[in-house]
Amino acid sequence: MKKKVLLMGKSGSGKTSMRSIIFSNYIARDTRRLGATIDVEHSHVRFLGNLVLNLWDCGGQEAFMENYFASQRDHIFKNVEVLIYVFDVESRDVEKDMHYYQSCLEAIMTNSKDAKIFCLIHKMDLVQEDQRDKIYNERVQELQTRSLPLQVIPFRTSIWDETLYKAWSSIVYSLIPNVQLLESHLDNFCKICEADEIVLFERMTFLVIAHSTRVDNGDVHRFEKISNIIKQFKLSCSRTQGSFQSMEVRHSNFAGFIDYLTGNTYVMVIMSDPTIQSAATLMNISIARKHFEKLEGAQFSK
Amino acid sequence: MLKPKLISQVLQQATTGGVKATILLNPEGSLLAFAAQSDRDARIYGAIASNIWTIYSKHCKPEVGPLSFLMLECEEGKVAITVVSTMILCLVARDDVELGILKAKCEALTRHLEEPLSRVAGY
Repeated sequence: MKKKVLLMGKSGSGKTSMRSIIFSNYIARDTRRLGATIDVEHSHVRFLGNLVLNLWDCGGQEAFMENYFASQRDHIFKNVEVLIYVFDVESRDVEKDMHYYQSCLEAIMTNSKDAKIFCLIHKMDLVQEDQRDKIYNERVQELQTRSLPLQVIPFRTSIWDETLYKAWSSIVYSLIPNVQLLESHLDNFCKICEADEIVLFERMTFLVIAHSTRVDNGDVHRFEKISNIIKQFKLSCSRTQGSFQSMEVRHSNFAGFIDYLTGNTYVMVIMSDPTIQSAATLMNISIARKHFEKLEGAQFSK
Repeated sequence: MLKPKLISQVLQQATTGGVKATILLNPEGSLLAFAAQSDRDARIYGAIASNIWTIYSKHCKPEVGPLSFLMLECEEGKVAITVVSTMILCLVARDDVELGILKAKCEALTRHLEEPLSRVAGY
């Protein structure tokens, strides 16, 4: 099952950087080495086994942009499932950005009118902390009025913190077929093994696919933080020739387990009942494994 | 899947009349669930019991068949160890508890847990 994802935005706005961090195991610092993207770079990212993200990273220099809207219009904008448009928050020439953005929307409207549109206001780390909310809200307001009649989903992002994972998790979530089924099975799993919370991650990217929560947690950013932390931990594991398999964190009134679930997913189980033994939870995870493998198989073979 | 709290409740029901601890361990000897005075007790009993069980069953000759039951009289109490499906069940009792009642409790628990545990044992 192939899904075409367009990644567009002005030159230097950070498209290739974020792609490299999420899908090619770069750390934020390494993205300095990346050069400008020439024309379109296609990459196929296998996600959850049979779902293939066909990522079109479109170089943002003006010459290329003009080209996309003129001679390559059909080729680029046909059959798009998701358009991700990246804005550099520090951009000096907002008018021009908007002009390209709107041309892009026009092309999308005529060629693939059901595409979902995500707008990422990127490089938020460069804005002073007390200004961030204000500037972001202004930008979103403007974007929404300019995008009418299309609906856009805005995110603020930065490669230096977990916001990047939040945005991309929502993007891939919108691409997974039948995700409600997966969630309902996860709910069941959560209920039976008496966990506070169970979160499902994709194996390569560690993006959150689905979660089930029985006990509310105050921190709404916890998933992205964990994605970020575990991804970095995984990378440091691979630097010592080891591969990350599983982890257990426990103290007197909390236990967290991260373990692989299927060939394409990791699961995180959070337990707050200290009387429940680790071995029992680990056994439940291994029992769930078979069930979820079957589920995943059925889901994608359709 | 196992409901850990339910299993603890079942084990709790056997932990009466002089029985100090009832412990369920997986084949590797890790605690699955228990009913005991304290965490610490359960861990120690469990470690010792699984150790004894593994050593004995290793030395069982194939013509005799697999080990099915162990009764131990110790200085300060009595211990019964048996196997339920693939899991190890261990009861620790005061020394005034008779071996017969200890064995009966073991068998009652086994009857109750055998079917559900055998369903998860294959994993």
